[in-house]
Amino acid sequence: MNVASLEWVACFLVVSGVFFQLPNVRSRQVLFAAGSLGFLAAQAPAWPAWLLLGAFLGIGYLVTNLFARQPNQLIVAGYILLLVAGFTYIKQYAFLTALLPASLFESKIALVGVSYMLFRQIHLVVDAYQGQIAQFTFWNYLNYQLNLFGLLAGPIQRYQEFCEDWERLEPILINREEILKSYLRLFLGVIKVLGLGSLCMTAYSSVLTRYMSEPAGWRTIAEFFGMLYLFTAYLYFNFSGYCDIVIAGSNLLGLRMPENFNYPFVSRNIGDLWTRWHRTLGAWIRDYVFTPMFKTSVERWPSYATSLSFVAYFVAFLLAGIWHGSTWNFVVFGLLHGAGVAAAKIWEMILIRRRGRPGLKLYLQNPPIKYVAIIGTFHYFSFSLIFWSNDMATSMSIVKKLGAALTR
Amino acid sequence: MDKKRTEVELVFRDVFGDDGIVLRDEMTADDVDGWDSLAHINLIIALEKRFGIKFATAEISRMKEPGQNVGTLVEMVSRKRQ
Repeated sequence: MNVASLEWVACFLVVSGVFFQLPNVRSRQVLFAAGSLGFLAAQAPAWPAWLLLGAFLGIGYLVTNLFARQPNQLIVAGYILLLVAGFTYIKQYAFLTALLPASLFESKIALVGVSYMLFRQIHLVVDAYQGQIAQFTFWNYLNYQLNLFGLLAGPIQRYQEFCEDWERLEPILINREEILKSYLRLFLGVIKVLGLGSLCMTAYSSVLTRYMSEPAGWRTIAEFFGMLYLFTAYLYFNFSGYCDIVIAGSNLLGLRMPENFNYPFVSRNIGDLWTRWHRTLGAWIRDYVFTPMFKTSVERWPSYATSLSFVAYFVAFLLAGIWHGSTWNFVVFGLLHGAGVAAAKIWEMILIRRRGRPGLKLYLQNPPIKYVAIIGTFHYFSFSLIFWSNDMATSMSIVKKLGAALTR
Repeated sequence: MDKKRTEVELVFRDVFGDDGIVLRDEMTADDVDGWDSLAHINLIIALEKRFGIKFATAEISRMKEPGQNVGTLVEMVSRKRQ
C-alpha cells in the first residue's frame, strides 16, 4: 500500500475521525501501533523478512539499552559496523556481489524501510552511548522504529522528539483552521504525487526515449535540458508530496514530524541544498558522519584541519550517495555532491583571502551573483540526478550523447 | 555566569582570531563573523579543551538551532562543568 493511494487516504480519514474520541493515551497508542503494523503487513513482506525484522528490533532494543547503562566505545563501533555490513548484504551492494560468491546472494530478502530503520538505529545507539536518551522503553522503541508515517521514506525523526509527543498523544493542532490546513496539505500531497509527479514522469520517460533513439543534433541539447527539468520536477513533487501526506497525517494524530523541504530550489550551493532538500537526511549525515569524523581527525591533526574538512565532505557525501542505492551510479551521485560542497567551500576561502569577511558579506548580498549561484546550483543538482535515476551504463550514454551533440 | 561568559569569550576570540569579540547572551551564529559549520566544530573542540568537558553529537548541532544563542551555550558549558 502506498501513502498516496486512495485506500490509505480512506483508512486515514476513518482513523483520524475516531482517534481523539478514544478515552486515553494508551488506547490511542494501541490504535496507532495497530495502524503501523497493518501498514507494514500491507507491504506484504515474506516470512524471512518478518524474522529478520524481529531480530533487528530485538537486538536493537537490547544493545541500545546496554549502551545507555554501560557505554563502551569499541562495542558501539563494532555494533555499528555489523549493522552496516548486514545492510550492505541485504541490499546486495554491487561491490559485495562482485567480491563474494554468487551463491551467497541467491535468496534476496526485501525488508521494507530498512534504510531508514538503519539510520534511526545508529542515531539511537550513538545518543544512548553519549547519555542523550533519558528514558528508553521497548514499547516506545518499537513504535518509533515502525511509525507508519516515517517507515517508507522518512523524514528521519530523532527518538527524543518522537517520545515528546508519543507519551502525551493529544491534539497538537490548536484550532479548526489548523486542522483544515493539515487535511488540505494531505490532499495537496496526494495531488502532487499522483497528479503532478506522475505527469512529469510520463513526460520525462517519453523525452528520454526520444533522446536515446535519435542521432545527436541540436535537439539533443534541448531534450537534455528538458529531461533535467522534468525529472527534478518529478522527484520534487513525488517526494515533497509524500512528505506533505505523512507530516500532515502525523500532525492530525498528535505527532509532530520534522519538515523535510525548505524551498530547495533557492539554494545557492550544494551544502545549502542539503539543508533544504531532504533536510533530515542532510542533518543526519552532518551529525552522525561529518561532525564525528571531522572533529576526531582535527583533534588528532589540528594543523591539517582544512584538508581534513574536504576529506570529510567527500566521505560524508559518498556515504549519502551509496545509502540511496546499491549500484555504482550512486557512488558517482555521492561524489558529485561531495565535489559540489568542496568547490563551494574553496570558492568561499578564495573570496575571504582576497576580500576579507566584510568583502564576502557584500559578495553574498549582491543580487546578480545570488541568482547566478541559485541557477548554477539547480542545474548541478539536476545533472547529478541523472546518476540517481539511471544505472551507470545509461547515465554514461546520456552524458556521452550530450558531449557528442555539443562537439558536432 | 558572567565569569563563565568571560572565559567563553576568550575561547571565541582565540577561535575566530578577533580580539574585539564581546559576547552577549542573545547573540547567535549570525552575529559572529565566520561562525559557520566548520568553525562551529573548531569552537566545540576549543571549549572542550579549555573546560575539560565533552559535548555529545546531538548537543553540538542543537547549539546552532533556532532559539539557541550564546546564553544557552554558556549555560550548557556551566552545567557540564558542575
